[in-house]
Amino acid sequence: MTLPDGQEQEAEGGAGEAPATPPSPEAAAEKPAAKAAAERPARPAKEAEPKEAPRVAPPAGSINETLAAAAPGVAMTAYMVPGTRGESVAVEVSRDDLVAVMTAARDDARLSLDYLRCLSGVDWQEEGLEVVYHLWSFSKFHALTVKTRVGYDDPTVPSVTALYPAADWHERETRDMFGINFAGHHNLVPLLLPDDMTDHFPLRKDNPLQEIEEWQGENLRDGAGEGEE
Amino acid sequence: MVLEQDHALEVVDMAINMGPQHPSTHGVFRMVLVVDGEKVVDVTPHIGYMHRGGEKLMEAMDFRQGIGFADRTEYLAQFSAELAYVMAVERLMGIEVPERAEYIRVILTEMNRLSSHFMFMGAFGIDSGLFGTSFTYAFREREALQDVFEEVSGDRLMYAYFRVGGLAWEVTDNFTQRVHEVLRGTQQGIRDLDDLMTHNEIFMARCQNIGAFTAKQAIANGMSGPLLRASGVNWDLRRDEPYSVYDRFKFQIPVGNYGDVYDRYLVRLEEMRQSVSIIEQALEQLPPEGPIVPEKMPRRLRTPPGEVYTKVESPRGEWGVYLVSKGGDKPYRMKMRSPSFCNLSALREMTIGQFLADAVMILGSMDIVLGCVDR
Repeated sequence: MTLPDGQEQEAEGGAGEAPATPPSPEAAAEKPAAKAAAERPARPAKEAEPKEAPRVAPPAGSINETLAAAAPGVAMTAYMVPGTRGESVAVEVSRDDLVAVMTAARDDARLSLDYLRCLSGVDWQEEGLEVVYHLWSFSKFHALTVKTRVGYDDPTVPSVTALYPAADWHERETRDMFGINFAGHHNLVPLLLPDDMTDHFPLRKDNPLQEIEEWQGENLRDGAGEGEE
Repeated sequence: MVLEQDHALEVVDMAINMGPQHPSTHGVFRMVLVVDGEKVVDVTPHIGYMHRGGEKLMEAMDFRQGIGFADRTEYLAQFSAELAYVMAVERLMGIEVPERAEYIRVILTEMNRLSSHFMFMGAFGIDSGLFGTSFTYAFREREALQDVFEEVSGDRLMYAYFRVGGLAWEVTDNFTQRVHEVLRGTQQGIRDLDDLMTHNEIFMARCQNIGAFTAKQAIANGMSGPLLRASGVNWDLRRDEPYSVYDRFKFQIPVGNYGDVYDRYLVRLEEMRQSVSIIEQALEQLPPEGPIVPEKMPRRLRTPPGEVYTKVESPRGEWGVYLVSKGGDKPYRMKMRSPSFCNLSALREMTIGQFLADAVMILGSMDIVLGCVDR
């Protein structure tokens, strides 16, 4: 671009001469976008980024087949999830089958998953709330992840405290943070939150971190710092 | 006046509040004990005084910023917490950590185990009535260990030294020599504490046969670490589900016979000796030169969508990180499975039926970190 051209452009835009026909808002919006696209080619990598993890079915003879045999008549979806070393199997079951599956997982001699390692809640927004159980067997040395999903309208999951006493505090914490009710829990009162804070669920995604976004907005917005690459 | 005959003594259970500001609760922890005479009939633990919403905050921070939060959660075993977190991100991104970085991670994590167990020995001695001698012995050596951490990371407490892919920067030039130096003092410290406590008759009388848990109880209650091993479960993630380069070292796993408070002390004491041995082996095998971050490391950390559960053997047990990502530079969900939280949830079962004075010992033997309980 030469200097006179620029001057001309500036004169056109800045001299206050009203154009004969004002540009339509669509045209005005299109123009800078088109210009930016011409200057900077689109990033193919960003377009290609998958939105969901690909689900790989477990190989034949995996633990999910034993579980299906131990808990007959239960519909479950099984896939592989990564762990510290190697992969392990995750199964998705409906909440009505949860207790049957967990009972089979703990009591069946082929599974004997006696250790509840971790219990977490995940808020999947439109796809509901999820409870994730990480199980481990000290006698058979194998792991299993059990997942179940419920909707926002009725976030109730049966409690597994009768099977795994370890679930006691985990379920109370998940109730605090996600508002998932664990039916059959003997003492589902707030654990980490104040006693009267029973209608606000901090870890749900509809609770934005407003204060933080205010003081750190630049760092936290999506794609911040991309220019440094 | 006629005295009423057969007058039964009226007995009521008494509720005693302990904490949240109480020296024996090791932080802001409160428990309400219901006692019948000297026997505890019920315990209600109250936690959450230090809940800072760390899991929520980490969802708003990118993967590099989250490392600092791992430190602030488990502030006695910071390197273990950092390691579990960076391992989770590395696993999702598929990053291979250079060998030298892995060895330095192991050395620092094991030194951190020593410093954390020293903290336990000191505080537990005070719980049992050793009037601070154990604290003096333990903190003398803990201070030296922290000096090394400060030299390496630039901070005494919040290290943020482990990074996704490796380490923040190279260790100091005299690192190996310094570690050897400090380990000599550490071994002396372990001997001193052993001499002071292990066969001390009062200490033994206060610790033995209280708060005992069987292996079955410990597993059902989701316990891990020294508490699980003291109950007779031969289990250590470093050996049984090895991560980093732990499969290259030879070490013993101490296991208790009775599952009582004394066994938990003995297990920790032996773990310290094993940690010294691991550090010595790691120093021998440590590659003198080499990169500490992978050659091709993206400047911006972005994970593909997916989930991962990684775990490390922290001084308190299994420190797990359940990381769910929807792609991008921040975790979608970040759950920290803290061993203190899981161990403490068994306090009620462990304390009921014991004497009131022993409740303090049982709590002390759990070696909880309230930052890690409340997150």
